Amino acid sequence: MTHRCLVLIGAVAVAGAALAQPRPIPRTADGKPDLTGVWQGGSNRVGTWEEANSPAAGAEFGIGRGQLAAGAALPAREPPPYQPWAAKKVLEFYNRRGIDDPEARCVPPGVPRITTIGLFPMEIVQTPKKIVMLYEVFGVFRPIPIDAKHPEDLEPSYMGDSVGHWEGDTLVVDVTSFNDKTWLGPVGSFHTEALHVTERYTRTDYNTIRYDVTMEDPNVFTKPWNTHSTIMLRPGTRLREYECSENNADMERYEKLLKDDSVFRRK
Amino acid sequence: MMKPALLVTLLLTNAPMWAHHSFGAEYDANKPITLTGVVTKVEWTNPHSYFYMDVTDKDGKVVNWKFEGFPPNVLYRTGWKREVTLKAGDAITVTGWLARDGTAWAHSREVTFKDGKKLFFGPPAGTGDGGNVPPVSQP
Repeated sequence: MTHRCLVLIGAVAVAGAALAQPRPIPRTADGKPDLTGVWQGGSNRVGTWEEANSPAAGAEFGIGRGQLAAGAALPAREPPPYQPWAAKKVLEFYNRRGIDDPEARCVPPGVPRITTIGLFPMEIVQTPKKIVMLYEVFGVFRPIPIDAKHPEDLEPSYMGDSVGHWEGDTLVVDVTSFNDKTWLGPVGSFHTEALHVTERYTRTDYNTIRYDVTMEDPNVFTKPWNTHSTIMLRPGTRLREYECSENNADMERYEKLLKDDSVFRRK
Repeated sequence: MMKPALLVTLLLTNAPMWAHHSFGAEYDANKPITLTGVVTKVEWTNPHSYFYMDVTDKDGKVVNWKFEGFPPNVLYRTGWKREVTLKAGDAITVTGWLARDGTAWAHSREVTFKDGKKLFFGPPAGTGDGGNVPPVSQP
């Protein structure tokens, strides 16, 4: 009897320990971490879209609800290392409160900015030879062939050309052939066609991809700019349509505002 | 006591982009408003949706206000249903921030319905305009 009791207690303890274990990182047949799923960039909150983005009970604004991701305590981000002349240009964009943002004209936001637009989900579809990233915002996509070379007939483009390879459990994506018509993220973070972006996607737990980015552009930076954020799994979310140019009133309104920028310019 | 709008701007300094265009170029975060009225029209369009609302002032004068907010995909995801959640004739209260041009136009944030239910129609103040801390230090 005592023996049976001990076995029962032991079984309950084992079951409890199993329940407390975090869900394992899913893997594909070839053993790579499977990034397939719908995700939210620019967030560090665990849960469904609603859980992670709804206002906390009683809070006036819907920021900061939900459990923080395990990898959320990331080191501080470094500011973009612009050359002095370029930093002046960035500050001018900042003082104009982002009215020059290319995105307001409904053009694709480029890389890595597209990964930090938290308002809209992204979807990753993974196969052994190609990974495809689909973005609800602007309805753009990135085919990322694995272990491939960039084509030779590239033209400058908003989203650049992406090729990937695996370094252990990290997906490394090399992005090149950008035009100079996008911002990298913060207000005014411009670049030239020399931009070269290296992204590293590491699924650190079931809910989280750690996203590390290096941006190189010797025309505007004094050294490569490294930054990072997390991309969170959003179970139950699907991509919807966002067709930005349908009724974009901003251009007409900006034209009126720009006749006298003292109306909106930072003092 | 810090004003709520300013607090949000600070919170967003290192936060992701939440809108496709600058809040600060068109709206004034220092001019929050709360208005109650009757909806006259709803436009579910990209990149922003709009609704219009008749607001009666204390002298009985009616002004038709325009409110800007999220695109339809975001509204669907946050609990709105087209032609169900918000219709012409509905009495609502909306919070937001005034447009800089001084007309009857505002950036909308939270809508409160007659039954007390609350939903966000637009993002917080300060989205897309760089917040309070410049992205680079003064060269």
